[in-house]
Amino acid sequence: MELYHLLTRTLYYCVRGTREPGAIAAQMYAIGNRSFLFMNITMGFIGAIITYQSATQSQKLLPDLSMLGASYIKLLVRDIAASVGAMPLATRVGAGIAAEIGSMVVTEQVDALRMTAAEPVDYLVVPRFIASVVMSTAVLICAGAAALGSGMLVSHLMFGVSFRSFLNYDLVTWGDLAVGLIKCVAYGAAIAIVSSHRGLATFGGSQGVGQATTDAVVGSCFAIIVLNFFISTVSYVVLPA
Amino acid sequence: MIRVQSVHKRFRRHVLKGVSLEIKKGEVFALIGPGASGKSVLFKSIAGLLPIDDGSIEVDRSEITQMDEFELAELRKRMGYLFQNYALFDFLTVGQNIAFPLRRLLNLSDNEVAHRVAERLERVNLSGFQDRDIRQLSGGQKKRVGFARATVTKPPIRLYDEPTAGLDPVTSQKIYDLILADQREVGATVVVISSDVAGVMTIADRVGMLLRGELIFEGTAEEAQRADDPRVLQFVHGHTEGPL
Amino acid sequence: MNRPSPLVIPIRLGASTLILAHQIGGLALLLARIVARLIRPRIDRHELIRNLHLMGVRSVPIVMATAAFTGAIMVVQAAPLLVRFNAREWVGWGATYTTFREVGPLLIALIFNGRVGANNAAELGTMVVTEQIDALRALAIDPINYLVLPRLISMVFTLFALTILGDAVALLGSMLTGYVLLDVSPRTFWNSVSTMIETWDLFSGLIKSTLFGGLIALTSCHFGLTVRGGAPGVGRGVNAAVVAAAAGIFIVDYLCTFILG
Repeated sequence: MELYHLLTRTLYYCVRGTREPGAIAAQMYAIGNRSFLFMNITMGFIGAIITYQSATQSQKLLPDLSMLGASYIKLLVRDIAASVGAMPLATRVGAGIAAEIGSMVVTEQVDALRMTAAEPVDYLVVPRFIASVVMSTAVLICAGAAALGSGMLVSHLMFGVSFRSFLNYDLVTWGDLAVGLIKCVAYGAAIAIVSSHRGLATFGGSQGVGQATTDAVVGSCFAIIVLNFFISTVSYVVLPA
Repeated sequence: MIRVQSVHKRFRRHVLKGVSLEIKKGEVFALIGPGASGKSVLFKSIAGLLPIDDGSIEVDRSEITQMDEFELAELRKRMGYLFQNYALFDFLTVGQNIAFPLRRLLNLSDNEVAHRVAERLERVNLSGFQDRDIRQLSGGQKKRVGFARATVTKPPIRLYDEPTAGLDPVTSQKIYDLILADQREVGATVVVISSDVAGVMTIADRVGMLLRGELIFEGTAEEAQRADDPRVLQFVHGHTEGPL
Repeated sequence: MNRPSPLVIPIRLGASTLILAHQIGGLALLLARIVARLIRPRIDRHELIRNLHLMGVRSVPIVMATAAFTGAIMVVQAAPLLVRFNAREWVGWGATYTTFREVGPLLIALIFNGRVGANNAAELGTMVVTEQIDALRALAIDPINYLVLPRLISMVFTLFALTILGDAVALLGSMLTGYVLLDVSPRTFWNSVSTMIETWDLFSGLIKSTLFGGLIALTSCHFGLTVRGGAPGVGRGVNAAVVAAAAGIFIVDYLCTFILG
């Protein structure tokens, strides 16, 4: 409920708020810099694991692996790139946002913002929100490409699937692409809102900041899973196979 | 005018137990009392930074407990607040800290802003500190930067939480003089929390004393000097023996 | 703004490599110290029970909620492909296999890392900056025996137990979703599970989660105990611990997948 309240106020200030020049760019740089390498490595490993597992399993049922790449790419676009990638992203970005805002709360800097005509939602949350939505989408797409590359490599080296037959986009529809993008945007928004909320609710010194960081990571991950459930179910109903 | 009526605030313990007091427009009011008696909490309640559990707080005839975030933001534009622990923005320099409320609140040219920041720094004895990093400052210097930031927009209501903590006697006196000079310039309502009881009494029109969440005295500085309540007398005169 | 010199990237890379090597060395050292003490363990029972409660019991709700949703999501995601390949009756096998082998251990470890690992690093870090660790040493109490061992044991144990719980809940979630979405009856679901799933699928996942538990304990204790620089240092330590453990989990998972095959 409080999250919804924060979201509406954030959106209000996105439209009506005072623009602080460079604030959004600074946050975008911080988020991108913090997560780009980490995300690509992580998703690279995940891509390799998923292809390996699904290849060994589908060999039990189907003799040939010609559809492996096509199915993998469809799942990657529709879900894995966004939903699996969003978890480590939440760990990195969410913890950073909550720790930053939380330590400003315990040093009374947030109160000082209120006293100097800078509403914390407007001044702190809005730039992080916009930056998180844009950069999460960008980083998740990049990391998804890394997962695609590593999956292609594993299936070529270990199962002898040629690159050409792996890179089969036939199963991917515009709907899949839209669902994947909606997920990226929703997760980016969720990470920023949940983590900012936990950061602003910090109380009680440095231990409080630690607690807020923890809550932000767990809360963001949970929000991602719940959002995934709803977006996936709705998209399954709206865009059946 | 600030009117506080039977305000209660509980955290884990009961911090404010029905505090009532009235601060008149354009006066300098000193809030004294031992540590942890609820002074800073009362300040934050007046600025709407902490929601109170019970009672009412009126600032310039409008009830702040009824306000939403936007109305509170409007009210705070008319307030200057010096925080006990400075609360300076550690991502900005000294000059940017002081310029921050100016830029957010008034539409001034860069020149004008720089001019007013320099004027404030000079008044708090920190000329030429514009580009310093907050982390390089001592406690007393941070206090003075906080003071400059709280006063730079010339707000009509000012809340100073320990303006002279960590300052030597000479600088303390300069700050007191500055508080009075600023107050006369715009006829501001000033509320000061101070542990330097003797010093703050020299500038205060009236004094209130908080003890364990209750207001046990309210009157002029002179009345405080010869109060009937032995606790007030002991605290004002700094005796070690007595009921406290 | 200064224009960055062209050497900035190699310099930064070198610096990060040094830091990385330093941290990995620190982890190895801590591991060696723990192993040395495991030969004749002297564990504080009280600390152990407190940690088991804090880490295990309090994590149950979030683990169950996460697992239920994840079980459901897997079926929703797989649904279009299953319908396409006409393989609905295999949904039970697919969901169970993925849960046991990968998703269960991995997801619960990530949540556990965010909740328990971060908390642990914060707790130890705060003890460091308030000089409580030095106080323990001054009282001739070995911090590794007193603080690290009970935490390691309870993390490994609770993550193991939580994974079993999470696996079970995720299966229920998948079964329910399969029934609602794909019209696969629970009986069909179980049929495909019992014919295709081997005990090894479950065990290989549990082996992983044991390793993850040890990894999270090791990183969070290491980063907690090496906190420097007061309160902000604790924040940095927590962040570093969580990220290092998350990266470690994926790497260990990758290696395990191939070794445990």
